[in-house]
Amino acid sequence: MGFLFDSLKTALAMIFEFNPEVYITVWTSLYVSSIAIVFATLAGVPAGLAVGLGRFPGRRAVITILNTLMALPTVVVGLVVYGFLSRVGPLGQFGLLFTPAAMVIGQIILATPIIANYTLGALSSSDSRIMPTALTLGASTTRGAMVLLQEIRFGVMAAIIAGFGRIIAEVGVAMMLGGNIRGYTRTMTTAIALETSKGEFAFGLALGIFLLSVALLINMFLNFLQQR
Amino acid sequence: MKPFLSLHSIEKRYNNHLALQVDELEFEPQHIYSLVGPNGCGKSTLLQIVALLLKPTFGEMIFQGEKVIWKKKSLQRLRQHITLVHQSPFLFSRSVRHNIAYGLKMRGMHSKKQHHLIHEALDMVGLNGFGRRTARELSGGEQQRVALARALVLRPKLLLLDEPISNMDRASIEAFDGLLPILVDQGMTIIQATHSPDQPERLHSTIIRMEDGRLI
Repeated sequence: MGFLFDSLKTALAMIFEFNPEVYITVWTSLYVSSIAIVFATLAGVPAGLAVGLGRFPGRRAVITILNTLMALPTVVVGLVVYGFLSRVGPLGQFGLLFTPAAMVIGQIILATPIIANYTLGALSSSDSRIMPTALTLGASTTRGAMVLLQEIRFGVMAAIIAGFGRIIAEVGVAMMLGGNIRGYTRTMTTAIALETSKGEFAFGLALGIFLLSVALLINMFLNFLQQR
Repeated sequence: MKPFLSLHSIEKRYNNHLALQVDELEFEPQHIYSLVGPNGCGKSTLLQIVALLLKPTFGEMIFQGEKVIWKKKSLQRLRQHITLVHQSPFLFSRSVRHNIAYGLKMRGMHSKKQHHLIHEALDMVGLNGFGRRTARELSGGEQQRVALARALVLRPKLLLLDEPISNMDRASIEAFDGLLPILVDQGMTIIQATHSPDQPERLHSTIIRMEDGRLI
């Protein structure tokens, strides 16, 4: 018990004394995942809308694939993207491996199906009269879709938050594509894994507290949205 | 004289189920038509097809001498003249004013011009002063009147009403009955689906009886 208590004391001291290494790591996590979530939103929301509103052959299969991609193991994404970005891979010439950009790419792949699926879910449970109402008032299909998006905005925000929750807490992509380089690609999750294995439990705990705080904030916001 | 709207051999099927079959049906301009019949007889399906919101499985529709082509651009253009008010209308989760302004915005009307028209439409349905209220917080009858104002503000040539008085109280129904002939005088053609036994006659409307998806 003494060990845990002492570690917690040290961890809190690191947080309140603004330990630069802790804060740089937290910043890297937030910065990489924030960029990734912007791109994943730009891809995932229209994809969810297209699948939800479209009536095309193979739609059921697309939904099944999207559902499957929700549970995509992070190390598999890391592995595949690594294959593309490694020096001998098809995109090796861009030198992206072990950079924040590589981590962003991996996290986009992880978050996009989640956002698309949640958007699709929000759309399925939305009022079926929205689109006909917009159309009968003279809207084009695109403007009708914009109204629909506005009406399901809380569901879409929940989708984005769920996607962010997934990527901020993942290890596989950050480790395999970022390389856990100190002050550059080291994120909260990779730092926790590394520092704990080195015996720096307090440092890992400090980052763990941050990670839990982020998760708590995300869930509080999600609950708030679901109550709207 | 060519009819304002005509339907020829219109059929709507869902899988093998026949929801609507209309061999010939013509509508003259500046008239009120009442579709009457039991629930599930095809009234709403017919209104949705005429509103260009539901593509028939077979058949042809001619609106103001133009054959309806079921392509996005063409439909959007024709829908500028046709507006449907649903039985339980969907109101956007914003103010009454926003709801009524929506169709005007879709027609590219400047917000300064909208003001007078919105005021006029609210006045027509007896909801003066309701502009800033949140649409979803109104009573069922008031919501129905907002939906009606939202349609009227567009001054459609063809106004389609699906059970328009189902949520209205007696006073509102009387006001509504008084309003329809005024709209017809202004140049509108109105097709309404109704369950009311006496309202169609009260309005001197042409009654179209339906049963099992067919005209009788």
